[in-house]
Amino acid sequence: MTKEIPRIAILVYILLAATLVLDVLIPAGPKQAVHDTSIFFGVLLLLAILFTAELFVHRKNVRATTDLFLVIVTILFFWELLFGKMSLIDPLLFPGPARVFAVFGTDWPLMLYGMMGSLGIMATGYFLALTAAISLGLYIGWRRRLYDVAYPIAKAVSPIPPTVYLPYAIVLLPSFATASVFLIFIGSFWPILVGTIYGVFSVDHRIINSARTLGLSDAQMIRRILLPGAMPSIFSGAMIALIMSFISITVAEMIAATSGLGWYIEYNHQFANYDKVIAGMILISLVVIAVMYIFDQVQKHYLRWQNV
Amino acid sequence: MATIELRNISMLYGANGTQHTALDNVNLKIREGEFLSLIGPSGCGKSTIIDLVSGLRVPTKGSVLIDDEPVSKPGPDRGTVFQDYSLFPWMTSFENICFAIEHTQGVHSRSAVENQARKYLEIVGLAKSGDSYPNTLSGGMRQRISIARMFSMNPKVFLMDEPFGALDSLNRIYMQDLLLHLWSERDEHKTVLFVTHDVDEALLLSDRIAVMSPSPGVIKEVIDVPFPRPRCRKSLGATAEYLSLKSHLLSVLYCEMMGELAKQEQNFRGLA
Repeated sequence: MTKEIPRIAILVYILLAATLVLDVLIPAGPKQAVHDTSIFFGVLLLLAILFTAELFVHRKNVRATTDLFLVIVTILFFWELLFGKMSLIDPLLFPGPARVFAVFGTDWPLMLYGMMGSLGIMATGYFLALTAAISLGLYIGWRRRLYDVAYPIAKAVSPIPPTVYLPYAIVLLPSFATASVFLIFIGSFWPILVGTIYGVFSVDHRIINSARTLGLSDAQMIRRILLPGAMPSIFSGAMIALIMSFISITVAEMIAATSGLGWYIEYNHQFANYDKVIAGMILISLVVIAVMYIFDQVQKHYLRWQNV
Repeated sequence: MATIELRNISMLYGANGTQHTALDNVNLKIREGEFLSLIGPSGCGKSTIIDLVSGLRVPTKGSVLIDDEPVSKPGPDRGTVFQDYSLFPWMTSFENICFAIEHTQGVHSRSAVENQARKYLEIVGLAKSGDSYPNTLSGGMRQRISIARMFSMNPKVFLMDEPFGALDSLNRIYMQDLLLHLWSERDEHKTVLFVTHDVDEALLLSDRIAVMSPSPGVIKEVIDVPFPRPRCRKSLGATAEYLSLKSHLLSVLYCEMMGELAKQEQNFRGLA
């Protein structure tokens, strides 16, 4: 851990200021006219505040933070310079950051509504899959005979991309929401099941023997020994499942939905509103970062007994 | 208070054709309140005997009796400590002991369980490490928790499979004294079956020592350890009786090795 503030930290501020100056002083290129640059300014200000807070208040691993911010502001600066002001690519196709961020100001109700819808569908399918796959996986892992049947099947079916089921799901299920929930359920179920079964198998035999000497019932054995013992592997399965869910819901919305983040991107793509397409992409990545952060925290809590 | 009896035990491992005889017609009776050590080179079937008595394995022939009742499966009447895998890594020391008490004592009141667990943590001197996970403790501390767990279960018999085998020699001395103290301070001594490969450890702790030899695993000799209790490590080690018992044990243990050792020595001379 480096506590000392590295010299290149100043570069972050310089680049942020340069981006700001660039946007204010140099007139926008053709087709780049933005009514409202306040959100872009807000983003720049937010970055500066976050960076300052990391440097002087939080002070954890300062060098890594500096490097990370340096990459972000460099990208932002060159995006503004090359595409915002110099219009290297047709601004209709690849607008500058000021235009893209302005979208958040006008479209936020639609985006928020879409985000809530997407997350709701995802959470439903994902948690259904978690419940089903973990309970089934624990039992299969514990019963050798079931395992011999189930594991090869799970291994064979799990690599099938869940979106393959989409045409069927749409035909068979009454609404887009149920079809998507099903899709996410199927996509998440297999990786979690494989992770759970593998986890049960990787619990050290000597620990299981130690548990057996206590005379536990099957139910106690599964709940108190196999479940926590398999937890590390369950989490790696659940991580893959989460990524699959994001892909599934976005693709499903792009194909068949009338709301949601994937739909938002696809819809605006059809009208050639590329500023909105990029804004949608940024929003999706922010949502993914937030969800992954929560996932990491939950994982840290449940696996706190591992190499602390 | 209970007796442990191994009656005509044979144990075969492996599929047909490549069978390996781990134990061959072993007979042994451990009296009530007796501390009996099994000693022998690795591969002689010491740990297999622990597995059989704890009920983790079923013998190919013969039977294990506890208080004249045949053993068919693991149960809370036998408290077991293994070399280093007794504790559950996802429970804190305190939770490990609580868990054992809950599942073997039939105590249902949460506060009663916790009070007992706290008491046993205290008697092994780890009251402060109750909230630590086993991975964060040293090997010696983990074994102390395992022993606290075994005592907290209040089983009829104690089974210990090289419990101090993974510890450094200082820690081992400390743990032997702790075990001896905890075991003998009670009015009624628990019956103990203790596996070790350390002759001094066996002599210090046991009432009797069963010496085993490998392939096939058999009990070669059972030796009485006549020293009065309480025993003192310092004065015991200096007596002539102790030394003669020790050299006897070593010679029984290593008589097969002696030839090998002599050969090795000759090789060294040849090289020099």
